[in-house]
Amino acid sequence: MLKTLGRRWREKFEFGIFTLPVLICIAVAFYIPFAMTIRYSMTKWNGISKHPKFVGLDNFKQIFSGDTNFSDAAWFTIKYAILYIVIVNVLAILLAVLLDMKLKSTSWLRAAFFIPYILSLVIVGFIWKFIFMQGFNSLGESTGWAIFDLSWLGTPGLAFISILGVSIWQSIGFYLVIYIAGLQSVPEDLKEAATVDGAGPMRRFFSITLPLLAPSITISVFMALTNSIKVFDVILSLTGGGPGGTTYSIAYDIYRDTFQNNLYGYGTAKALILFLAVLVVTIIQLTVFKRREVEA
Amino acid sequence: MKTNNNKAGKIILEVVLVILSLLFLYPLFLTIINSLKSFSEVMTDVIALPKHLTFSNYSYVWKFINYPRLFLNNFVITGVGLLGIVFISSIAAYKLARTKSRWSGVLYFLCIMPMLIPFQSIMLTVLQTAKNLNLSESTWGLGLLYWGFGAPLAVFIYHGFVKGIPTEIDESATIDGASGFRLFFSVIFPLLKSVTTTIVIIDVMWIWNDFLLPLLMVNGSPDTKTLTLAAYTFVGQYTSDWQYAMTAMVMAVLPSIVVFIFLQKYIVKGVVAGAVKG
Repeated sequence: MLKTLGRRWREKFEFGIFTLPVLICIAVAFYIPFAMTIRYSMTKWNGISKHPKFVGLDNFKQIFSGDTNFSDAAWFTIKYAILYIVIVNVLAILLAVLLDMKLKSTSWLRAAFFIPYILSLVIVGFIWKFIFMQGFNSLGESTGWAIFDLSWLGTPGLAFISILGVSIWQSIGFYLVIYIAGLQSVPEDLKEAATVDGAGPMRRFFSITLPLLAPSITISVFMALTNSIKVFDVILSLTGGGPGGTTYSIAYDIYRDTFQNNLYGYGTAKALILFLAVLVVTIIQLTVFKRREVEA
Repeated sequence: MKTNNNKAGKIILEVVLVILSLLFLYPLFLTIINSLKSFSEVMTDVIALPKHLTFSNYSYVWKFINYPRLFLNNFVITGVGLLGIVFISSIAAYKLARTKSRWSGVLYFLCIMPMLIPFQSIMLTVLQTAKNLNLSESTWGLGLLYWGFGAPLAVFIYHGFVKGIPTEIDESATIDGASGFRLFFSVIFPLLKSVTTTIVIIDVMWIWNDFLLPLLMVNGSPDTKTLTLAAYTFVGQYTSDWQYAMTAMVMAVLPSIVVFIFLQKYIVKGVVAGAVKG
């Protein structure tokens, strides 16, 4: 009796020793700040005064009733996220299908497309800023193509396309690698059976490969979704929100309100809205996509 | 006849893909050649190769941003972060996966839930918490903070893997007299090697290149800056001196590229494993 009691206590003690460090660290990194965010979102605070003033849901009312910065940034983020998710996944699947054929340079090619992904997004933004501002001049002079004479960072519509293009350039290698792994788990005999039944390459791709790629698509869309909703670094270094404030994303708008305009309470209210949006959208995405997956 | 056609088609496809990949990497090539030019050469012709190689940009930036110091900072932050993430996440995930109780389910959920919280939603309050705990303004403190930020994904991946290890292994080790940490470190942890590699790779790429957290935490003091952060402020100050800016870019990304070239195979595998499990 005494012995079993001792053993149970020892097990509990060990359970605590093993799990407590991680729980403390996660609480410090996420749960404590998150609770503070909820509290600050209901205050008016400039970060200097000792006591934030409690204002209830006023911040939220103000945000939804006519903050054009927020609605513009939200609209930018939605447009960006949809286009990014669709384009990066379609291109990565196409490229993965090509690179899944047994070519001599396959491993070199995969590495080449992956390289931009190992660079920090801030640096990627600066490199492209240089190319858009200086490099395109030289390229225009030597080729004579009008496309290089456009102001890629100075015109609102084009700046949007530049941000989208640069983000896709940086991250496509990541999605490519996931899709290649997915393609390698599509059984050969299924494709062969379809060929025997008279299906052409197109038919084989849409009726066999694509449905069996569903798990990879679920993961890639999830990653693309969470990353695109949080787009920040690349905008900061590429356009800085310009021209004329047309390329502010929600994440950038929150950063600007909190750290540049010192609207601590107001900024955290926006941050809370971002969290809820991410939560709802990812849950919907995961349930919808999971339901469509098929087993090989 | 058909195979001949196939072969020719494959060669054409291969050539097209190689050209495509070279175009894809062209911006990086431009960055490198412009870091080797003088200011006037950068201004007159960006796409031309340097007439004579100028390494003075490198020595200038090296001294100006105190490169060895920054490199060491990055190294300390990434090293401290990694060791902690691997240690605390592996022991917790192991215990949580092996204990069948309501508590372990709840705690596991609490560990992985933060993956859905965007960093921008909590960046201000993270900064305050770090200040209260005296973790800001030091490389060690920043490294410690990454323990919490990296743990959710690591616990998730380890947890999934531990479930696949038969419990008989634990039992036989217990009969042999091992328990607690002894059992974990001499029996279980070696079995987790492949997952640990995956986690290390994903986290090195993330912590080494991270921008927003270092910007908020250690921006003020030059002794604690990271490479990416220094490149960012450097370009901000010298927006028109593109030859220095490009040099700073090359120097900031060079370590990652060198590591990538040597560990290419593991990095690609690690990313796939991490993404598929994540």
